Amino acid sequence: MTLDHTRPLFVRLLLLAFLVLVPPVALLAYEALGEFSQGLVPEMDKKAETVGHDLAASVERAVGYGIPLNHLQGMDQFFGPVRAANPEIRYLAVTDRDGHILFLDGIGREVLEAHFAVADFDEGGGRSHKSSIGDFFDLALPLAGKAGSAGHIHVGIDKNYVRGLVNDIIIDLGVVTLVSLLVAVEILLFVVTFNVTGPMRVVAAVIDRVRRGDFSRVCGVTSDDEVGRFVHGFNAAIRLVDELFRRLSAYIDEVKSVHFDPGVVERVTDIESRVRFLFRFARDGQPAIVNEHQATDIRLPLFLFVFAEEISRSFMPMYIRDLYAPIPGLSPEMVTALPIAVFMLFIAVVSPSAALTSARLGSRRVFLMGLVPATVGFFMSALAHNVYDFIVWRSATAIGYALVTMACQGYIAQVSKQGSRAQGLGVYVGAVLTASVCGTGIGGVLAERVGYRATFSIAAVLAIVAGLLIYRLMDARQPEAETHAPRKRQFIGLLRNWRFSALILFAAIPSKMALTGFFFFLVPLTMMAQPRADLGDVARLMMLYPISVVLLSPLASRLADHTGWKAGLVAVGGLIGGAGLVLPVISGETEMIMAGIVLLGISHGLSASPQLAMIPDVCWTECRNIGQTNVLAFLRLAERVGSVVGPLLAAAFIPLYGYTGAIVALGVVVLGMSMVFALLSFAYGSGPHIEAELEE
Amino acid sequence: MRRLRFLIAVMVTLAALGWAGTAPAAEGPTPARPFRIYMALWRGWEDAAQGFKDYFTNQNIPVELIIRDAAQDKAKLREFVAEAKSLNVDLVFTWGTTVSEEMLGRYDDPDTESHITTIPAVFAIVSQPLGGVVPSLTSSGRNITGTTYLVPMETQVNLIQSYRPVRRMGIVYNPLERNSQVAIQELMVVGHASGFELVTQPVEVVDGKPVAASIPAKVAQLKVAKVDFLYIPPDTFLNINRDTLTGAALAQAIPTFAAAENPVVTSKAMFGGVYRYYTVGQLTAYKAEQILVHKVNPSDIPIDAPRRLSILINMPVVRQLGLYPPMNLLRLAEVIDPAEGRPQ
Repeated sequence: MTLDHTRPLFVRLLLLAFLVLVPPVALLAYEALGEFSQGLVPEMDKKAETVGHDLAASVERAVGYGIPLNHLQGMDQFFGPVRAANPEIRYLAVTDRDGHILFLDGIGREVLEAHFAVADFDEGGGRSHKSSIGDFFDLALPLAGKAGSAGHIHVGIDKNYVRGLVNDIIIDLGVVTLVSLLVAVEILLFVVTFNVTGPMRVVAAVIDRVRRGDFSRVCGVTSDDEVGRFVHGFNAAIRLVDELFRRLSAYIDEVKSVHFDPGVVERVTDIESRVRFLFRFARDGQPAIVNEHQATDIRLPLFLFVFAEEISRSFMPMYIRDLYAPIPGLSPEMVTALPIAVFMLFIAVVSPSAALTSARLGSRRVFLMGLVPATVGFFMSALAHNVYDFIVWRSATAIGYALVTMACQGYIAQVSKQGSRAQGLGVYVGAVLTASVCGTGIGGVLAERVGYRATFSIAAVLAIVAGLLIYRLMDARQPEAETHAPRKRQFIGLLRNWRFSALILFAAIPSKMALTGFFFFLVPLTMMAQPRADLGDVARLMMLYPISVVLLSPLASRLADHTGWKAGLVAVGGLIGGAGLVLPVISGETEMIMAGIVLLGISHGLSASPQLAMIPDVCWTECRNIGQTNVLAFLRLAERVGSVVGPLLAAAFIPLYGYTGAIVALGVVVLGMSMVFALLSFAYGSGPHIEAELEE
Repeated sequence: MRRLRFLIAVMVTLAALGWAGTAPAAEGPTPARPFRIYMALWRGWEDAAQGFKDYFTNQNIPVELIIRDAAQDKAKLREFVAEAKSLNVDLVFTWGTTVSEEMLGRYDDPDTESHITTIPAVFAIVSQPLGGVVPSLTSSGRNITGTTYLVPMETQVNLIQSYRPVRRMGIVYNPLERNSQVAIQELMVVGHASGFELVTQPVEVVDGKPVAASIPAKVAQLKVAKVDFLYIPPDTFLNINRDTLTGAALAQAIPTFAAAENPVVTSKAMFGGVYRYYTVGQLTAYKAEQILVHKVNPSDIPIDAPRRLSILINMPVVRQLGLYPPMNLLRLAEVIDPAEGRPQ
């Protein structure tokens, strides 16, 4: 997947935004966090003291009622909730007068025993006594008994807690900074391409004509800024030349009609034809307007729209679980998976007709049309009552999503006809992946602070902004597209090509199954099932997928171009992804799931572009017969079977094997299918396959 | 911790309730003459009556209380009905199951002659109002309302289990008293669900009267059956003979749980989970206020219990048995400890 021609510009803008944004943020954060961690330590001491006094009062009351200190009952239940409510408190203990541990909750005895045996907690003179034991600060509070001190209560503070807290904030800040950086670059890119480089390209195109003596075109730029005025002046120059030419030709006509000397007339006619040979002018005296459409025109709206959809990525399954209502005949897990599967199903079903509609009505109208159900869907998802109406609203969003993405793809395909199609596709993929990074990251942070529902309304607002951009800025006049819908029979013929069917069945489908079943559905559920996981963590973890795809895709496409080993790359990608999903079999730790996500990103980054690049080789005849675009569209449609099956299969595994087990089970399925493809890939050979042609 | 939070929530609710009750009362016009309330009591002036009276004082509602004590004599109740009718009071307060059923009539037999029907009434300390004076706790369907004072059996059992796990629960009861039979039925059901066995020992009945002297022997038999806890139902006979019963249990080293406050507060039961009579009296007065001041139809006022459960722990008994309560329970409990001179 070669990135588009805006890539150098993108990189430069990224650098610029980085320089403007990151140092001040880093400096501010550094100062603020220093203050913060300085201030936090005494706060924690104060809190530990309060907790200790509270516990001591209860224990003293019990002792006051004549309960011997070593006969206190239910101390685990007494300490447990206190520790759960105060994560910085790592242990709570009661010691008798001699420092023997009577009750201890949180850590093993051996850590404290040696220290307690020799410590003198009373040196504070009946007040609290703070000492350092390994990774803990021990705060000892005296327990008053009937005859002097009865013993001590100990509150153990984790020394690493502040560091962990500060790290969390740094990571949060990092995510927000990264997202603002990417958003800033997207906007800058849009502003620059729309206002500067776009018009410049048009001017360049017109100048190129002028260089060749063609004065029949002017630039169609109407902005009011410096660029606009420049272009206006430039157009005026062309019009002046045109005007001068008309005056000249009028003069020539006059000379031709009235001059008596045939020699002169001949000379003049000669000059005229010479001028007409060297220069070209508009026939009707109105130079035609040149508008150049670029793939980047649509990048920002597409980015915003995908951003809106991705914002719910990290918490979607949890939100569905909150809306749970029983559906007869389905397990709760199945009900949770259903909206995700239905969403994918609607995209699959609507996309082909959306592509046709986009070709017929123009991308701008279809984009705006698609935004209506999508926005309504986002907004109503925020207000959903239960899973029933939520499925309806998600279906609306899916229809909108299919229309919008098809409109964008159609637009890009049309405008990049003259240029390279791969570059146009690069714009599309670039926008979607950046939006995925931003949406997932910021969605988690937002949902944690304002809740799921408010976050969905933010998605609706983003979709509206995308619509306004399209409405205000995109030219109503569209480049025309050729449409020829192939007949169904031809698609069936495609499936008879075993290489193509194998590619769909054992490479494209399992890859999508892993994406929707594992990444969209199981990852959030599994992560949230772990103690002390919060949405921010889940979102950060999920950002790893698009990031690893972004980083790997260019590399993979270069590799595919250089080696020509496309089927091999697809096979290796599939195996890596499947292996990543099986990883949690080693342990259910977050690290394993993290590794699974990264490997899935690597897998998709490796195999996505070779998969597409294989098509002209594998379906050489079919591409010639029904067009490469249509073959690709059919691949896209067929692989969505995997998108729909993924979450449902994962949901079926949960009751059998638990969350982590379901990941592994899904991984086994994906890995198995990838292995089949890997074996088959040896039979693919390389180069175009023309044997299918013989059957016709 | 969760229970604590629940208690705080309850207190906030009660505070809000109190505020909601005060505000209109303060704004509303003060009646020219005080409300006249006829209080029919069964065992003299005690905490529920005091709570009832204090509520009006605290809320600044002028009332004139006409207090009559039946002194456990059923025959007097007929006179009370006649007197209340002739005085044409604004409201009647009845204390206890017998007074309420005799004066207000059972829900299926509200005979207008011998019962109070036109004057609104509130009842308190009725063990089983459901199926007795009222057909449903959401509405009496007539001119009365009231409060219940027994903690739901499931809550009681949870409380006992939180003290120490119970596999076998013992009960000594008066076979002639309906309250005890109801308690046994409920214990059976809850025991079946939470996995303990119920061992029952009825006291001996001679000439149609329960014999108090048979109690220690029955307790001893429970000891033989190895019960973990003795459950004391809200039973009048056992209430009267509570010292005999709890004394026997203590002698056999059986921990006791009481469903009413007397065995814990004024005898030797180890602990109990109750709604305090004083609180019940206040809640009953709150319902009377709804009727008198806010003119709410009594049949529109549901019959319920106070929200706040009182956990009573009798510390001398605990010390004697050496069965100390878990810390979380102790934190929430009202400890009775006369030796320390600080009953709470």
